[in-house]
Amino acid sequence: MLKNLASRRWFLRDCSMGLGSMALGGLLQGSLKADNDSNGLVPHYPSKAKRVIHLFMAGAPSQLELFDYKPELAKLEGKPLPASVIGNQRYAFIRPDAAVLGPRFTFQKHGKSGAEISSVLPNISKIADELCLVKSMRTDQFNHAPAQIYFNTGFQQPGRPSIGSWTLYGLGSETKNIPGFVVLSTGSGISGGAACWSSGFLPGAFAGVRLRNQGDPILNMYNPRGISPAVQKKTINLVNSLNLEAYRKDSDPEILTRIRQYEMAFEMQTSAPELLDLSSETKETLELYGCDPLKPSFARSCLMARRMVERGVRFVSLYHEGWDAHSNVEGNCRNNAAATDRGSAALVLDLKRRGLLEDTLVIWGGEFGRTPMVETNPALGRSQGRDHHPQAFTIWMAGGGIKSGMTYGKTDEMGFHVVENQVHVRDLHATILHLLGFDHERFSVTMQGLEFRLTGVEKANVIKTILA
Amino acid sequence: MINQFLISVFAILGDGLVSFDRDIMPILSQKCLKCHGIDEESRKGKLRLDQGNSALKGGRSGKPALVPGKTDESEIYQRIIASEQNLIMPPLSTRIILTNKEKGLIKKWIEQGGKYEKHWSFENLKPVSIPQNSNAPWVKSPIDSFVYEKHRANGLSPAPEADKLTLVRRLYLDLIGLPPTPEQAMSFASDTSTDSYEKLVEKLLASPSYGERWARRWMDLARYADTNGYEKDRYRSIWPWRDWVINALNRDLSFDQFSILQLAGDMDSHGRQENIVATGFHRNTMLNEEGGIDPLEFRYYAMVDRVNTTAATWLGLTLNCAQCHTHKYDPITHHDYYSLMAFLNNADDVEMDVGVQNQVFSKSSNQQYIQKQKAISERWLQTIKDQDKNLFDAWCLQQKEKLASWRTIVPLKMNGGLIQLNKLEDGSILGHGDISKQDVYELEFEGDFKDVSGIRLEVLPDSSLPSNGPGMCDYEGPRGDFFLGEIEAFLGGRKILLANASESYFKNHFGNGRAGAAQAVDGDFQTGWSCAGLFGQRHEAVFELDKLPASGEKLKIKMTFGRHYACPLGRFRFSVTNRLNPKASSLPEKVQSEILSELPQELKIHTLIHYLGSKDEFKKDVLELQQLENPKKSGLTSLVLKERPATHKRSTFVYHRGEFLSPKEKVDADLLSLFESDKLKNADRLQFARWLFSNDNPLTARVVVNRHWQAFFGTGLVKTLEDFGIQGEYPTHPELLDWLANDFRSSGWSVKNLHRTIVLSATYRQASFRKDGQMANLRLINVYPRNRLEAEVIRDSILATSGLLSFKIGGPGVFPPQPAGVTNEGTYGKLAWNTSNGEDRFRRGLYTFVKRTAPYAMFSTFDGPTGESCVARREVSNSPLQALSMMNDPVVMEAAEYLGTQASKTIKDDAQIINHLYMSILTRQPSSSELIKLLDFHGEVLKQLDSNQMEVKIITNQKGDSRTAAWIVVARALLNLDEAITKR
Repeated sequence: MLKNLASRRWFLRDCSMGLGSMALGGLLQGSLKADNDSNGLVPHYPSKAKRVIHLFMAGAPSQLELFDYKPELAKLEGKPLPASVIGNQRYAFIRPDAAVLGPRFTFQKHGKSGAEISSVLPNISKIADELCLVKSMRTDQFNHAPAQIYFNTGFQQPGRPSIGSWTLYGLGSETKNIPGFVVLSTGSGISGGAACWSSGFLPGAFAGVRLRNQGDPILNMYNPRGISPAVQKKTINLVNSLNLEAYRKDSDPEILTRIRQYEMAFEMQTSAPELLDLSSETKETLELYGCDPLKPSFARSCLMARRMVERGVRFVSLYHEGWDAHSNVEGNCRNNAAATDRGSAALVLDLKRRGLLEDTLVIWGGEFGRTPMVETNPALGRSQGRDHHPQAFTIWMAGGGIKSGMTYGKTDEMGFHVVENQVHVRDLHATILHLLGFDHERFSVTMQGLEFRLTGVEKANVIKTILA
Repeated sequence: MINQFLISVFAILGDGLVSFDRDIMPILSQKCLKCHGIDEESRKGKLRLDQGNSALKGGRSGKPALVPGKTDESEIYQRIIASEQNLIMPPLSTRIILTNKEKGLIKKWIEQGGKYEKHWSFENLKPVSIPQNSNAPWVKSPIDSFVYEKHRANGLSPAPEADKLTLVRRLYLDLIGLPPTPEQAMSFASDTSTDSYEKLVEKLLASPSYGERWARRWMDLARYADTNGYEKDRYRSIWPWRDWVINALNRDLSFDQFSILQLAGDMDSHGRQENIVATGFHRNTMLNEEGGIDPLEFRYYAMVDRVNTTAATWLGLTLNCAQCHTHKYDPITHHDYYSLMAFLNNADDVEMDVGVQNQVFSKSSNQQYIQKQKAISERWLQTIKDQDKNLFDAWCLQQKEKLASWRTIVPLKMNGGLIQLNKLEDGSILGHGDISKQDVYELEFEGDFKDVSGIRLEVLPDSSLPSNGPGMCDYEGPRGDFFLGEIEAFLGGRKILLANASESYFKNHFGNGRAGAAQAVDGDFQTGWSCAGLFGQRHEAVFELDKLPASGEKLKIKMTFGRHYACPLGRFRFSVTNRLNPKASSLPEKVQSEILSELPQELKIHTLIHYLGSKDEFKKDVLELQQLENPKKSGLTSLVLKERPATHKRSTFVYHRGEFLSPKEKVDADLLSLFESDKLKNADRLQFARWLFSNDNPLTARVVVNRHWQAFFGTGLVKTLEDFGIQGEYPTHPELLDWLANDFRSSGWSVKNLHRTIVLSATYRQASFRKDGQMANLRLINVYPRNRLEAEVIRDSILATSGLLSFKIGGPGVFPPQPAGVTNEGTYGKLAWNTSNGEDRFRRGLYTFVKRTAPYAMFSTFDGPTGESCVARREVSNSPLQALSMMNDPVVMEAAEYLGTQASKTIKDDAQIINHLYMSILTRQPSSSELIKLLDFHGEVLKQLDSNQMEVKIITNQKGDSRTAAWIVVARALLNLDEAITKR
């Protein structure tokens, strides 16, 4: 089913333009007649978010150092948490009786909303009134790879479509010149790997496309050496003209799709360099992001993300890795905040002043949280760190139909458990799909006889309170 | 979607009779069974509609749901046409809607008698009679008779046979996964003998490339990869399994034997190492080595994967959902799922040395060793002076004073949790079983411990342990590692203080903290004793204690192991001494015992050799002797299964909602209940594997022939290759499928025979297009369906076309060129893609190193799998990235350079060059309009290049003129044609 569905979708979206009046009806006969299923492709409601930028803080930032201020921890520092609080939670490295570690930074209330944010995030603090902080996130996974894959695909094992793929599958692309779902990364490496932006059982065309820092930014984007743009254009014209001849003989609609893909590839080759060239950005903008236009950095990726959504990219995943603070959580947060704070805040501000924030959803957060307990391990040479904590963590969102200047959810005094308005990852997924215009229960794909949804089989709820 | 599908199938079959299985069951399963199916927990109104007798009886209301022949009395029908909101079924709240077409089918079915039937694929295979149309001139084989019947019933007719050049290309691509060379193609085209086609088929079936082509498809099912997956995604050695598959396919090992070895070769090895290598099939599951994971949890996920893969590969069933709850559509219960798991769950995952037969080294039996030993001691005796002898004696005496005399103690009771502890003859204890991040051993000793002042723990090598031990760590940390977090001793329940710990050796693998024996008695579980680095060797630790009283009480020793990875001890031994202040000795065990013994000095040969090891004139000899003790392993290993002994079976449990943390009742191995047989209750993996090929199993033969059919025709007779259950598609040609399945069985499960049968049919030999205006129907096959080539075949074809392809078979994964950064940018487990040299750059795609978190870029672009789960059917997408890959990838450019250069060098006439390139790349001659287009194109490109010699130099790699460069550009264009990457 999917093969034809996919190629037909490409065809309907793209080829109907590229090939003018080529008889649509005739093409749909033959092998394709059983596949005019439009499940979920027309949004169930109007989309408030038309595109998404996901700033994925891989490695899991410490909510206790950044957003979820717990002075009680300072008082308890050095003493273990009561066993009743911990229950039977498993940990990656520490033993459950580890002592408590107080917050490493001071916090202040910011903006009209009075959101409490750490002093280590001065720029994000300044945009507090644009944000919706969700302090009551919860996940099922406590190891990086499964948790990252879970956060991105709703399932802890590789093989399901990522949220970006669902989005692209649901809404299609607004650009023919750039892939509709782009992935960037800066930092040490993503534990979940390509499974995080995989299209799973959806066709490969819905997978995230890596924008790389080495070699061709998009794989094979540049002509082989010696092949001039003129020769390339001539070649594509020849290939398409010969392919069209083949179509006249074999009548296989795949050939028409192939023709359109060559046209798109050429368009991509001509427009991608323009996308990547930051020379048209003003000095003021570069200063806002604080980035060197020629050097890969998180901030430069943020700026690139804005340029992409301006050009119709549907989903941008921007990975920053390095938050895994098993030792020296203070230094870790300081370094990673320095790398990401300004770029993240600049992105929100920049989108806003260009009128894009309204229908662009920005999500900032990691795969889980970190423990209120300290991680110290002489055998491993670790001290003053925090272990993985799935029970409670913080993310923030902005724009795209999300209420601004809001803090949602609450954890207990130790920051261990959520005590108010828990948002499970699948609730977040349901909410994001809702903003994109999809009812998560009806947005499904039938595969191997099973109906698959991003939110899985467990009950998931759209968090209505945080909708604008 | 199901709607649409029904209409199409109904239209295909169009016989007016409603079939329960074909027409009604899909509606029930999709729209009714969620609440009225096999799953008791979710059943509403006590009504069950998946079984005829329950439908006749009805539910809670007492009214029969089904009255055969009478729609007005059948509650099923009345409720689906009800207009009252509270009566209508399915309830409005479910948002499930029955279409008028579906309602009509149900009505018709009830009118026609409302009979229930068993699902077609669960019915045993019965002989099928071949339609009597063999006198139709087109029909060449039984396959054609079945296809022809369907044509006739639907007003279709077969397409004419494809021309010989099309056929030769098709056969080559299908059977060996490579296009023919122009010479191979011409030799077939010009062979006018009546059996030229048959001869070609036999030639290709016998080609060594055949096994490579079909191995890659099997690797999809096996989720093959060269790395472990997940975060670290480190290297694993399992390619010997891949080579086993290639070899087995080439020698046409019957598919039943093949499968039995894949699933249970360790239990059916007949002493053949290669049979054990075959069990790598299920060792292709992923392994999470991320710091701090729970190994038992990921072992469970691997088992889930093995169950799902077994079901998809051999049974054509999607069991995945039964992991968490009873299947909503198929008659498969939650309990069934774990019963099937129990067959597979009793093996250990081990790494087998496959280079040389694993030889156990024995000092006493190795003649070379003994002779060398003797030679050293004789040389010493011949060269020494008296004072040397005295020095040796004095050294021995000095050592003796330091050594305590140890008495081995053997526990009466032992408990290692999931790890079974077994006593060996030498008083040592050997562990076996599943390890976890915190393993605790409790040992109880009885006897006289009066005046005991020290306890010695020896950690010992053993060939059953990873890296020969002494630890059991087999992933995440170094293999063979152990980490003794704490050792505690109790006498009569009172803790005894262990102090002044010493050890012969220690090393910490992670971190820089000290990891000596003292760290195992410091009260901190996070610190401990570890002997990383020196694996496969004996080490010892000694703990001092205050002299024990003559209490007659039991001595209990408790050891706690583990850190962020699982690392309990594998083999160890305890002994005690009465000597004051005992210390660990770094002398080898044999030396210790010789020194303490009353042996005459000249017989203390190990001691002498050890002593001489530090003397300059003997160092070299002693070192050589030691090397004999540690025979070099080949270093070549493969991941295999090893069935556990009957004395230590692993239990399997049902997991509530499929969650690892919620194990419930224990289950016995058993067949899925849908097979209605208890023949295999409590049977083992081998018996299960054999059962798959018994006549009791209706599925395997059908599932396998269908998968092979799909390989040739692009779509299976059942489109859902992996789902023959109720949600799967009904076969387009049920009788043909069963005929093929029967034939496959009676041929002795010969895959080559199956392939021969398919390609010899007239159905297969049809052209891919029609000129008579009849609409192509790919499912009823009135043309040969065009299909894009698989990722690896595309690359192999490009290399073969240009003559660059290497035909070397087997060996470790290779690293052909690919763009920078694919495997190390943004991936956590970075891999430097060190591009292979020489012919390894041009090996077939199945040898390309598979890194799960960052697969070979070009293959991903063309829908290649990641090896993360079983793939029965690859998606076929068509994207701009594929166009970029074909236009700009260096592989294509390199091939074009070769093709263009050769052609321009050897052929003078432009039209003939084009002919030659067409034959090389597309295996046909160009049409006249194609020829004109290409001549024009060449001319235009030539004009442009003439004015840019720089480009000419680059394109021709400094080796040619602008004419050659233009031919390279032409070849590149032809490689980019849709036809070049398509089978037609």
